[in-house]
Amino acid sequence: MKMLILMTVFFALSAFAAETTVNVKGMVCSMCAQGLEKKFSEAGVDKIHVDLDKKLVHLEGKDLSDEEIRKIITWAGYEAGDISRK
Amino acid sequence: MKALLTFVFMIVSLKAFSHPVIYKDGWAINSSNMAKYSNNYVLYSFTNRFAVGVEHDRFDKVDVGLLKFNSLVARHNGDDSQANLYFHGGVGKEIYNYGAEADWETRVLYTSIKHLRFEGPRYQDYYVTQGRVGLSPVKTGFDKLQIWFMVQGMVIHNVEDTVMITPMLRFFYHNVLWEVGSSTRGDWMLNLMVHY
Repeated sequence: MKMLILMTVFFALSAFAAETTVNVKGMVCSMCAQGLEKKFSEAGVDKIHVDLDKKLVHLEGKDLSDEEIRKIITWAGYEAGDISRK
Repeated sequence: MKALLTFVFMIVSLKAFSHPVIYKDGWAINSSNMAKYSNNYVLYSFTNRFAVGVEHDRFDKVDVGLLKFNSLVARHNGDDSQANLYFHGGVGKEIYNYGAEADWETRVLYTSIKHLRFEGPRYQDYYVTQGRVGLSPVKTGFDKLQIWFMVQGMVIHNVEDTVMITPMLRFFYHNVLWEVGSSTRGDWMLNLMVHY
């Protein structure tokens, strides 16, 4: 029974893992992308995908606040635009 | 032997990259080499506006060592472009350097201009003026190799007082950038840069 509850909690948490998409201004090269990957990774984000074509960064795992996201992007030298969550 | 040592140094330099200032807590390592001039540095950016580090420059047969302090004076992050203005400063034994650098880039176009001055009582003055334009014919993703076609013009006062034109290829892959070129006079150029 305990195992069943644990599994239910695990799958429920997985289903609600935070997915955040951020628009980043000034992100024009792979060096920029690398800097953002590094800073979000240091902040504990599990999966980071940078889309240079759409100027978007997709974050999965740790749910960072808008303020934290904007601070990380500023430290990396760029400017955060819209932030959306699923 | 000299070629071997140069090669080994290049590989060691791969540990890092090159902008005068990068992201907070980032390291930049650069090794730029031409026949009569080389510039090597390791910089630590303690914010995204300021970096400190060490630099070695070689003007023909004269070596210069510097403690560096660089600053990102201004950055414009556009929707499809980025523009930067940097200040360079450095102090060594009986020599100092200062200058400015500006660049503007999109995913397919690159331009930059730089002017650095090295002055001191024991040295003749060296002024490095460099301009670059580049074009990347194909937009590629972060995880793919990107190739740029570039041309560099450079004058080094008291070393090479006429403009050296160097067509080159620039390659980007993740956090590693390397450039290979040959001037119109046949002088080689080999640069390696890494950020981490």
